[in-house]
Amino acid sequence: MSAPHIYRWDLDKTYLQTDFDSISSLIRIAFQRAADKTNVPGSAELLRLLRAESAGRALIYFISGSPAQMRSVLAEKLRLDGIHYDGFILKEQLRNLLRGRFRALRDQVGYKLPALLNARLDAPEGSEETLFGDDAERDAFVYSLYGDLLAERVAPEVLDEVLELAAVYPDSREIIFTALDKLPPCDPVKRVIIHLDRKSPPIHFEAYGPRVVPVYNYFQAGLVLFADDRLRAEAVGRLGTTLVRRYEFTPRMLLRSFQDTLRRGVLDYEAAQRLGRQGVRSGIDAEVVRLFAQEAEEMNMVPVVQKAQHVPDYPALLRREQNRHKIEKQRRRRLQGRWL
Amino acid sequence: MATIALDAMGGDHGPSAAVSAAARISLERDVGVLLVGDQAAIDEALRRTRYDAAFLSIHHAPQAIGMGESPREAIQAKPEASLLVGARLVSQGHADALVSAGNTGAAVLACAKYFEKLPGVPRTALAAVFPTEQRRGRHDDPFSLILDVGATLEVGADALVAFAHMGSAYASRISRNANPRVALLSNGSEDYKGTAAIKEANQRLRGDGRLNFIGNIEGVDLPRGKADVVITGGFVGNVVLKMLEGISETVVDIARYAYRHKLAWRAGLFMLRGGILQLKQLTDWQQYGGAPILGFDHLFIKAHGRSGDRAIGNAIKVANKAVKSGLCEEIAAHLAE
Repeated sequence: MSAPHIYRWDLDKTYLQTDFDSISSLIRIAFQRAADKTNVPGSAELLRLLRAESAGRALIYFISGSPAQMRSVLAEKLRLDGIHYDGFILKEQLRNLLRGRFRALRDQVGYKLPALLNARLDAPEGSEETLFGDDAERDAFVYSLYGDLLAERVAPEVLDEVLELAAVYPDSREIIFTALDKLPPCDPVKRVIIHLDRKSPPIHFEAYGPRVVPVYNYFQAGLVLFADDRLRAEAVGRLGTTLVRRYEFTPRMLLRSFQDTLRRGVLDYEAAQRLGRQGVRSGIDAEVVRLFAQEAEEMNMVPVVQKAQHVPDYPALLRREQNRHKIEKQRRRRLQGRWL
Repeated sequence: MATIALDAMGGDHGPSAAVSAAARISLERDVGVLLVGDQAAIDEALRRTRYDAAFLSIHHAPQAIGMGESPREAIQAKPEASLLVGARLVSQGHADALVSAGNTGAAVLACAKYFEKLPGVPRTALAAVFPTEQRRGRHDDPFSLILDVGATLEVGADALVAFAHMGSAYASRISRNANPRVALLSNGSEDYKGTAAIKEANQRLRGDGRLNFIGNIEGVDLPRGKADVVITGGFVGNVVLKMLEGISETVVDIARYAYRHKLAWRAGLFMLRGGILQLKQLTDWQQYGGAPILGFDHLFIKAHGRSGDRAIGNAIKVANKAVKSGLCEEIAAHLAE
């Protein structure tokens, strides 16, 4: 029997629609009840489908920057959504605060990278991973680096430079290097799906190679997972139906999202055609399948040549991201000033 | 939700302005935009832009009509031009309206090729808005509508009467002006003045109880806003519109000159800056949202050739508003009565 597939999900802005861009919204989140928390459209349905499609053999973990004090509310929210998970890592924000580790409050590299590597120590041998994050933090960077570190594609001195740039605390560095020493070389990270909460331009993610796929909605994520053989056409159809019935999507919006995945080369023609064939067999609304097939046909596009996966220049990427973050922060301050 | 086809290759700025406008509109999640044009060029611009994929799609069109090309020849020679493909997609129901900043003549011909004229419309009309002293409608709209401004150079009384109905329907739906005042542009306010066509149209409109026809107005009444809908032929309309645009640009140029040349004038302008900014905003053509061609069974909005992303974005919004308010159906109903 093959090893189970692991899905690791970020919570805020990936699974949940969370606004933590201002102090007032942070306070609101802290006091929000589980029932008041809102999902990113389709995220809960996709998770349930991933569990169901694997006949219960998939492992689902959450890794979030939310404070550990929110565990009970978040666990309750997942229970209400009918999500069965296998692990839940939250950030020890209070401990960071009490120890005066203020940098760690917002730092992603120094938190997520050691957490992911430690979690990998417990993963079944041979298990592959699909990781879900968003564009609000550095998920694409951390997930990609995590995958390349496990596969020994990143030299220790490069990792050192990255940790230096990210100003990671010494104890976190130690956890990272200790875990890497213990882990056998493997290449489990097959896909990184980034939910474009901020609608960042797709070009921002090209440097990570085709393994990292930015998506505008979870229907697109479903299409990617179909191409990866993680979901059947029927499940993609169900995901689309949920988005239409519960989240004010229209069939045309799904069609546009489908076209976008084809144009960006996220979904190739072979997979698109396979989706049509399987969709008809599994009894998805035939009209929708016909529309999708027609769309793929009518686009008359030059097929997108998929670029080969490569190892990004992580220090350069981190510098670029830090710079972009700084510019974005300045822009927001300017805008706030204008409003005032 | 409406889908607006946007000719991505039209206008002085080419695909960059159109793609940027469509991307920005897609983030508002109120209307879908179908970009028609060279897919590679559109995709290249899109990947650098923030957009929402659920509200934006592309239809590849391998040819484009240049701003300086002869409309008739271009339409013949380039059947797969973005403008023609866009019109075709609208006529086939893939989109609800068309927006283009491209070649005006070619746009009118493209619409004529694929759209049907509404029953009772002898000639289609290009309409435009201009700022006036008086405000009107539910939203205190400062703009009057003038048509035709260039679709048909010479028109008869039948066309002028049809323009009056189309303009009235447009003002009631888009400006939310329940009872717009309609007037004929002439060389005097008396009913007996004007060309033969104007005199005949005046008589017929006087007897038409469905419109709030206020008679003839003169050029001097235009900026005062005496009428909400001004009816004229394409030749005069085009001259009037360009003159109004020219005046507002000249006023700004004069103010700039004054600002540069005398300290006292500069101080004066500084004290008047609030009013000047308001005036500038009011006369800024980029916020008008383009000129609709009225009289077809589908809507076409012609954005200015110089349009940047803001102007094209506003044209898409006007098209969406017109589709949502059922403008073409309203015009058809007006003319059918």
